[in-house]
Amino acid sequence: MAIPYEFAYEKPQNLEMAVKLLGKYGKKARLLAGGTDLANQMKQGFRVPGIIIDIKGIHEMEEIKMDGNELHIGSLATFNDLLSSRLIKENVNILHEAAGLVASNGVRNRATMVGNICSAVACMDSATPLMVHEAVIHTLSTRGGNSYRIQDWFVDNRKTAIQDDEIVTHVSIPLPAARYAGAYQKLMRYSGEDLSQANVSVLMLGEKQFSVAFGSVGPIPKRSLKIEHLLNEEGISEGSISRAKNMIDSVIAPITDVRATKEYRMHMSKVMFERALLAARERYNKPRVFFK
Amino acid sequence: MKKISFILNGEKRFIHVEPNEILLDVLRDRMGTKSPKCGCDSGDCGACTVMLNSKTARSCMIFAIETDGQEIVTLEGISKSGLTPLQKIFLEQNVFQCGYCAPGMILSATELLGKNPHPSRYEVQEALAGNLCRCTGYTPIIDAVLELTKKQV
Amino acid sequence: MDAFQYIGKSVVKVDGREKVSGAALFTEDIEFGSDLLYAEVVEGSHAHAMINSIDISEAMKVPEVLSIVTGKDFPYNFGLYMNDRYIFAQDRIRFFGEQIAVVIARTPQAAKKAAQLVRVNYTPLPKVLNPLDAIAAGAEIIHPDLGQYAHVPWFFPEAGTNIAHHRKIRKGEVDKGFEDADYILEDTYEVPRYSHCAIEYHAAVAKYDHSGRLTVWASSQSPNTQRNLFAKALAPLGIRHNDIRVIAPHVGGGFGSKAGVTMEIMAAAIAIKVQGHPVKIMWNREREFYNTYQRLGVVAKLKIGVKKDGTITALKHDLYWDAGAYVEYAANVVNAVGLSAIGPYNIRNVSIDSYCIYTNLPPGGPYRGFGYSEFLFGLESHITRIASHLGIDAVEMRKKNMIKEGDLTAYGAHMNPNGLSEAITKVAKEIQWNKKDRSSDPNLAVGKGFALFWKAPAMPPNASSSCFLKFNEDASINLLVSGVDIGQGFLTVMAQIAAEILTVPTSKIRTENPDTDRNPYEWQTVASHVTWGCGNAVRNAAIDARDQIFSLVSRSKFLPIEDLFLEDEKVKCKTQPSFELRLRDFIIQGIQMGDGTFRGGPIIGRGIFMPEFTSTNADPDTSQGGHPNVHYTVGAAAVTIQIDKQTGRMNILKVVEAVDVGKAINPDLIKGQIIGGLLQGISTVLYEEMKFDHRGKMLNPNFTDYKIPTALDIPDEIVPIIIEVNQPDGPFGARGMGEHPMIPVAPMIANAIEDALGIRIKSMPITAEKLCLEILKTNPKTPQ
Repeated sequence: MAIPYEFAYEKPQNLEMAVKLLGKYGKKARLLAGGTDLANQMKQGFRVPGIIIDIKGIHEMEEIKMDGNELHIGSLATFNDLLSSRLIKENVNILHEAAGLVASNGVRNRATMVGNICSAVACMDSATPLMVHEAVIHTLSTRGGNSYRIQDWFVDNRKTAIQDDEIVTHVSIPLPAARYAGAYQKLMRYSGEDLSQANVSVLMLGEKQFSVAFGSVGPIPKRSLKIEHLLNEEGISEGSISRAKNMIDSVIAPITDVRATKEYRMHMSKVMFERALLAARERYNKPRVFFK
Repeated sequence: MKKISFILNGEKRFIHVEPNEILLDVLRDRMGTKSPKCGCDSGDCGACTVMLNSKTARSCMIFAIETDGQEIVTLEGISKSGLTPLQKIFLEQNVFQCGYCAPGMILSATELLGKNPHPSRYEVQEALAGNLCRCTGYTPIIDAVLELTKKQV
Repeated sequence: MDAFQYIGKSVVKVDGREKVSGAALFTEDIEFGSDLLYAEVVEGSHAHAMINSIDISEAMKVPEVLSIVTGKDFPYNFGLYMNDRYIFAQDRIRFFGEQIAVVIARTPQAAKKAAQLVRVNYTPLPKVLNPLDAIAAGAEIIHPDLGQYAHVPWFFPEAGTNIAHHRKIRKGEVDKGFEDADYILEDTYEVPRYSHCAIEYHAAVAKYDHSGRLTVWASSQSPNTQRNLFAKALAPLGIRHNDIRVIAPHVGGGFGSKAGVTMEIMAAAIAIKVQGHPVKIMWNREREFYNTYQRLGVVAKLKIGVKKDGTITALKHDLYWDAGAYVEYAANVVNAVGLSAIGPYNIRNVSIDSYCIYTNLPPGGPYRGFGYSEFLFGLESHITRIASHLGIDAVEMRKKNMIKEGDLTAYGAHMNPNGLSEAITKVAKEIQWNKKDRSSDPNLAVGKGFALFWKAPAMPPNASSSCFLKFNEDASINLLVSGVDIGQGFLTVMAQIAAEILTVPTSKIRTENPDTDRNPYEWQTVASHVTWGCGNAVRNAAIDARDQIFSLVSRSKFLPIEDLFLEDEKVKCKTQPSFELRLRDFIIQGIQMGDGTFRGGPIIGRGIFMPEFTSTNADPDTSQGGHPNVHYTVGAAAVTIQIDKQTGRMNILKVVEAVDVGKAINPDLIKGQIIGGLLQGISTVLYEEMKFDHRGKMLNPNFTDYKIPTALDIPDEIVPIIIEVNQPDGPFGARGMGEHPMIPVAPMIANAIEDALGIRIKSMPITAEKLCLEILKTNPKTPQ
């Protein structure tokens, strides 16, 4: 169904032009990459931009590449690009795992990871994998380049720290020098396409070094230093797992909505935390696959 | 209003579009290609699936203006030179019921077999999971795809 | 033994090529030219309110708006079985989202914009959102005019209450039956509302031309019924049946939602306001959920008494249906269940009260299963619970009590021939009922569940079908019928019936989609009756054509009529093996005689069918004495499920279902119905859930949050079993089976869950979340 109001459309062919346009229109503009979120929001009247800036002509932002010891994911990389990338699979398996659970194939062909974290909706899949990997988000505006640590990026539900004139160019993920492995767990109402009702990412960086983040159980995704500290002190044992699970009650604040109750989200966050932790350990112990 | 062109089912087409026009509407109402259907208008059901630059996409979530200079294939384009082996096996095995999801389903299966000629059962399920069908229970469709891949060793 | 050439064969669907090539045209695919107008509906924003005023002045100012239609323009009510529905709300709205007005404009955008500018002033009324509240003392009366509504003679509305109909059965001595029982189990089961979710929306285009002709193109299961209801509702405007033409192109799924009349009547009405222009109303996914029909919700109180040996002595079943704001169709769901809520059992002492209750939720209506899924949830749960209490095997318990041919139904009619026993045996064997499966993973529990089912078509006693069969020059055939192929394969099955009798291959037969001007009458495509009813009409038409052929050949070739037969599109003669005459050589042109003259002319077959043994004349207090149902289709099903105890997630390892179809005219299509129906049933148990807020507004009218299964959410293994105990009055012995596959699913899964975990769930749905929270409640020590 056509959108019942008018707006302008521009498709800059390079980053410089895009930044200029964004500088000119600021708040009135919306950037368009995959459009899987934007078109819906506009149909429903949640967003009424005066101009859409289609950034798909900026081919340099499609890249997924190694940049020193950092993995660089361009803003136009789709979830299917992530899924078919060996670099992603071998270096950030947790993100690969999450990408495979995003929507369905036809959506993943268009939807971008950067679009996902820019939407900042509670149900996004890519946030917690990026959090445990301490990703950095890089932007550009007429004022110059800027970067945000992922933990500073999410401000509120549907709100990020980005300024109106900034465009995200890419996300960088620093890769640990030593062995590591991660796992992603997502609560869905069934196996098919579904939005996350809760998700957990666990990254194991050593026998006693962990990074843990919870998604969709609060307005913004949450990394838990408290749980990490416990695991970093005690390593993985029946006791530490049990203590860590008990801590989750005070770490996350899920709500009841049309998709799930807070009770189930809380319970499943604990179950998924344990499963992700054990899966991460299993993968960690198979260095063949996830050793850089 | 902007004049754009795209290759639709092998033919270069020119059209003036407003930025607020959705690709699905343009294909159906202005290009005469009726096989992409609207089943939810929000990207959930996959009935509007088209191939955009050889990849399946939800035409209900694409602005027509975005497709300037690109290539679009719908089921009409696939059927142009007779039924493909995939369409034939779907026909012979009576897999579809109402057939409303068929255009999207066939494009998704076509994309899969193009990328992966010998998928596992799970890979077929995963590839078709974005196309909702309320009639068939999916199993006959999945079975037919797998049977075709066995035939084409 | 099977000498059939086309019957019993999985011939390729006659509409298959259209569907796989993208050629199939659905209502929305038809072009209506540049004069097409678009309509947008203005919806009510209260569940129950008086409408004080409707201000259209701002909306009319929007450029390209032609007209705005409100209830004042069409103060008419209508309905299939009871005239309680209005084309547009009159003085009050009774559910959230009810249509109040329609804006007609040149573009969809203008219509939408204007619709948002229509201002409606309301006085909210108290609302009733569940059936038990609606029958409590002092409840707000939703239809004060209930006593004045016209209705079919077999409904019993209770004016001044919210009870629109009460179907009552009394058979035998119920009190004594319970006295004789060694054990009585009494409990309450709840089933909420569900949505059909055909992927194609409802769509209707109507044109009232300057000659007074009203043509409606609609995605419809019921073209003739729609014409009839349009004509009745619009009669005050001087419109008659022959002024109306309803055309039903391919339908993208129905499941009952496109039966009867819902939004289509708006198209028919507003077209009159913009005479000369075609006008289109398209539903969207949201409205599909809250303004078509929904499956009714029910609270079922069930009491069954048994002897120690498992013999059922008495059944009392009280069903309180949440039928919604208008029950013109829903009341017949309630009626059908009232008649059949003993299930496929032979029970001597029966008391059933089935109450059709108005609520301020969207109108209930027909949904695949027509109430049987709902009451079987409780009944088949109950049977298994009783068996396990008595220490009797759940399958043995069913065998012991199952209904057999000739046994009496609850209303005193005799049960038709059926293969229930065979179905039970085959399903039990295939699921390995006697083998207990266990998982080696302590977190996984495995369980099996069993359920029986039955269902009769719910139809007026005079529901009829008809067929014209036209030959073409090459002996190909156009079969004109008004049943609708909603995916079940109706067009193909009709072609197979004609093919068998006339020996013309199905590839040469086109069964045409309905057009009320051209195709003869069909009541509706509902109730799993068209294979049987319309199939009989087609059979009769083919026999009629064959008789004409033989008569012509006999009198022109001087052969005894009784010696003639058809083979491979030729007329042959038993006594003269050398004689053969190709149909194509005379079927239109006739047969030339020695003197150069011709005999014959185009062969046109005509067939009708109406069951002449059904009657709704019965004692309203007991329902004894009539013969309301034509026959029952029965079967059995079983499932093996695996449950993740930590998450509540259920995985269906195997499901087996046997249906007695009488005769499988096309086994592929039967299996398709079984597999598809099973998944639709599974989905109502595991995934789907309509959620309403305190205002009566649906919270999840979209596929993002009303989850219907994807290709990843299917059972690991499905075994469809076809049983064939012929239906004596069915075409080649066939009876209907389209709805049936989904109806045993809920109790079957609930029974399997209890087998696996010892937890009995008595309300649907049984989502992973619900089960998980139940597991935590039951056993807080379950490892988290």
